[in-house]
Amino acid sequence: MTTITSPQTNGLGQFFKNNRGVLFSIAGLIFLPFALTLLDGQSIGSMLANESGLSKFYQGLAIEIFILAIYALSYDLLFGITGLLSFGHAMFFGVGAYLTGIMLKSFSWGLLPIIGLVAVAGLVMALIFSIVLPRVKGITFALVTLGIAQVFYIVIQSREMADLAGAEIGLQGVTPPAYLNPVEQRLRFYYVGLVVLFGVYFLYKRFVDSPTGHVCVAIRENEDRATMLGFNTFYFKLVALTISSITAAFAGAMHGLFHPIIRPGIASSHYTIAALLMILMGGIGTLDGAIIGAATFKLLSFYLEKWFGGTSQVIIGVVYIMLVLFLPYGIVGTWKLRGVRLRDGWRDFLQRLKPSQTNND
Amino acid sequence: MTTLLQSFRKNRALWVTLLVLCITFLMAVRGLVDPIAEGGERYKNVVITILRGLSTGSIIFLVASGFSIIFGLMNVLNMAHGALFMIGAYVGWTMAVRPDTVVDAFTPLVLLSAGFTLLPFLDWSLQKLNLPKVAGGLLPWVGLILAIVVLGFAFPKYPITSWDVGSYEISPTNYAFAASQGQLVAPEPEGFAGISPLVGLGSIILGGILAAISMAGFAANRRRSGAGTGSTKESLPWKSFLIFIGLVFLGWIVYFFNTPISTFLLNIDTTWLFILAVLVAVATGVLLGALIEATLVRPLYETHLYVLMLTLGVSSIIIEVVRAIWGAPEFTMPRPSIFDGTGEGCPAESLGALIEHKCSTIQVLGGRVRTYNEIFIPILGIVVLITVWILLQRTRLGMIVRAGVQDSDMVKALGINVQRIFTIVFALGVGLATLGGVIGAPSTGLTTTLGDSLLINLLVALAIGGLTSYPGAAAGALIVGLLQQFIIKYGQIGIHIPFMDEPFKPTPPLVPAMTVLLMVVILLVMPNGLFGRKE
Repeated sequence: MTTITSPQTNGLGQFFKNNRGVLFSIAGLIFLPFALTLLDGQSIGSMLANESGLSKFYQGLAIEIFILAIYALSYDLLFGITGLLSFGHAMFFGVGAYLTGIMLKSFSWGLLPIIGLVAVAGLVMALIFSIVLPRVKGITFALVTLGIAQVFYIVIQSREMADLAGAEIGLQGVTPPAYLNPVEQRLRFYYVGLVVLFGVYFLYKRFVDSPTGHVCVAIRENEDRATMLGFNTFYFKLVALTISSITAAFAGAMHGLFHPIIRPGIASSHYTIAALLMILMGGIGTLDGAIIGAATFKLLSFYLEKWFGGTSQVIIGVVYIMLVLFLPYGIVGTWKLRGVRLRDGWRDFLQRLKPSQTNND
Repeated sequence: MTTLLQSFRKNRALWVTLLVLCITFLMAVRGLVDPIAEGGERYKNVVITILRGLSTGSIIFLVASGFSIIFGLMNVLNMAHGALFMIGAYVGWTMAVRPDTVVDAFTPLVLLSAGFTLLPFLDWSLQKLNLPKVAGGLLPWVGLILAIVVLGFAFPKYPITSWDVGSYEISPTNYAFAASQGQLVAPEPEGFAGISPLVGLGSIILGGILAAISMAGFAANRRRSGAGTGSTKESLPWKSFLIFIGLVFLGWIVYFFNTPISTFLLNIDTTWLFILAVLVAVATGVLLGALIEATLVRPLYETHLYVLMLTLGVSSIIIEVVRAIWGAPEFTMPRPSIFDGTGEGCPAESLGALIEHKCSTIQVLGGRVRTYNEIFIPILGIVVLITVWILLQRTRLGMIVRAGVQDSDMVKALGINVQRIFTIVFALGVGLATLGGVIGAPSTGLTTTLGDSLLINLLVALAIGGLTSYPGAAAGALIVGLLQQFIIKYGQIGIHIPFMDEPFKPTPPLVPAMTVLLMVVILLVMPNGLFGRKE
């Protein structure tokens, strides 16, 4: 294992050089609320006091993007890095959201114990999935996870759970703690979301660059070969699954704190597909791609909904199909893997976008 | 005897699993026997539950068989199968309840598809022309854009009798009832709005041809870059012209005789309408399947994961389109009249009386069995099972398909046009799904979530039976159907568990939960399913 060398990350200068784009984005996002305030003509003081305005609205949108980005990152680790196709990822998200909501509403726990509980729940769910992990592979694993997640989706919608989870309507009347209220303390929530997102991002980047991460990539590329090299692939898959599920549960917890109603739809298979769509837009297997894909997805669905109303879903579906057909590497993937240079011309660009002949199963 | 022992040793897990399943089944049956009743009536619940299980299983099987053959042959996990099942149900409902709308929609669709029959000719001419690179690259996009513009101009102006979905907001229940009976007042078609019929119909034909040109152009580009395999035909394909002219002619005839055809269809017996609905739904499925395969799936054969994601997108588009066309309310589809009699002599006492009075229910061991749901659907399921089995075992196509499931590269190497076989199998598989949809519609009703719930059942059934095995699809569908109906039945009467005063009643959410649990357990014992091929 020592033969695998990770990229040079020692030294602050090197770190800055490697992550220039990300650090610029973080700086931009830190100043975004202020810039929007100035654009709106609102005073900085009123923005700091969380008075409603353009800035507050876009902060809300950005927080939703942060949550989705964490969720997409976790799915990218599982599917894009380790190559485990799971259709039950929305269950992780849903468990996080519902646990947070139920604990706040029915048991009035504090935020810290809830975070611990969510982490434990993520671990437990990963262990549940890991029962089938060593036995079924590929498509069958996807089907089993879909089935397990579907059971959870049905259970939270059932009438027997109505007192706790609110049946089909969703969990209502959750009061988040006053210091992290999404309405009165939105600016604080925004920065908390930003910190969590990029904390997760850098942790993930470290994980992917670590020897363990390298083995995960090897499992994605060729599991038999990884086994032949002497790695216990089950262990590595379990590590990736656990990290992924805990992260997704945290994303769900933030969703539960931010949204006034926790709808059961967040645990449905459509939400897993949304994660798939996000990382597909950004580029499968690239962590930057997950964040960019989540932002693209949210903005696209938000504005299409605003402009086209009901037909927006059809348009998103068409965009999705076009992406699969013509841009299979996503935004970041195309940028990185194919090295797009503008002077190569448009024709050459199109030539590069063609689905490759390699096997991806 | 020794061979039996050997096969037992080889497939120990399979035999043990089957044994456990059988014992569980027998125990479940025993629990349903009514100890108080006399004679044959003791088995009333058992018979009815098994029949219902067969019915549910038949619907799942109809869809699962196509799905598993498609997956086995071309490694395409068609996640749009549930949505296509739903399309079958909705199209069948429209044909059975509002045949006039189908007649209205027939003309533009036929005229549109007429353009696509020219594809062989266009392919041929593009090969002969051998356009320069830039023109060849631009042609399909220009064709596509022009097609969208022309169709976008003509289609919205086409007079299709529709019902007012907007009135749903006033009273959902009334609306759903009226819609299910086909009693909504529809605006009369007044001919093309604003343009003459000649221009309207002509531009639909033109749009179809332009779309076909664009498709041929894309195919030519793929061929040039070496991705696709295409055979060069030397002679001009005249046949496609004849089909084109025939379809255009058919479209015009239906347009000019629209009113008499609609009146005729509205006045015939519901049994005939039901048969027509089945035919229309299956035809829709076959055409849609061929279209999806040819345009979307074919470029991505080599990349299975992308096909999976693509079909997911297709599924969501179909669901949204259904929601846009038919609206959100639930519909019920009327049963065909030979299974819908309720008058004198019903419920029927014997099979003869059933046929004579066309009863909707029949008296079996003191209980009532619904003729359509619990007798007709299982029989149809078995008929389809045997038909497809014969197709697979006794025909040339079936032989190629079986060979392709084992090793598609070898089939290709033997000089068989695999691409054509793929298209045919995909189309037939989707046709089976829509058949399941229209057959199941009278018993389950129509909602826009129909496809989702079916897809889950279908995947569970296939995972239990083995993903690529045809007998496995049948066995899995049967197991899932029986399990669901038994749990539903036990939910009504309750299970007596020792040391508990109250009988335990499984609640509705337990139904899917138990099927999934069974799937997980079986997959833990046998990772490839009961009859799945070992990897």
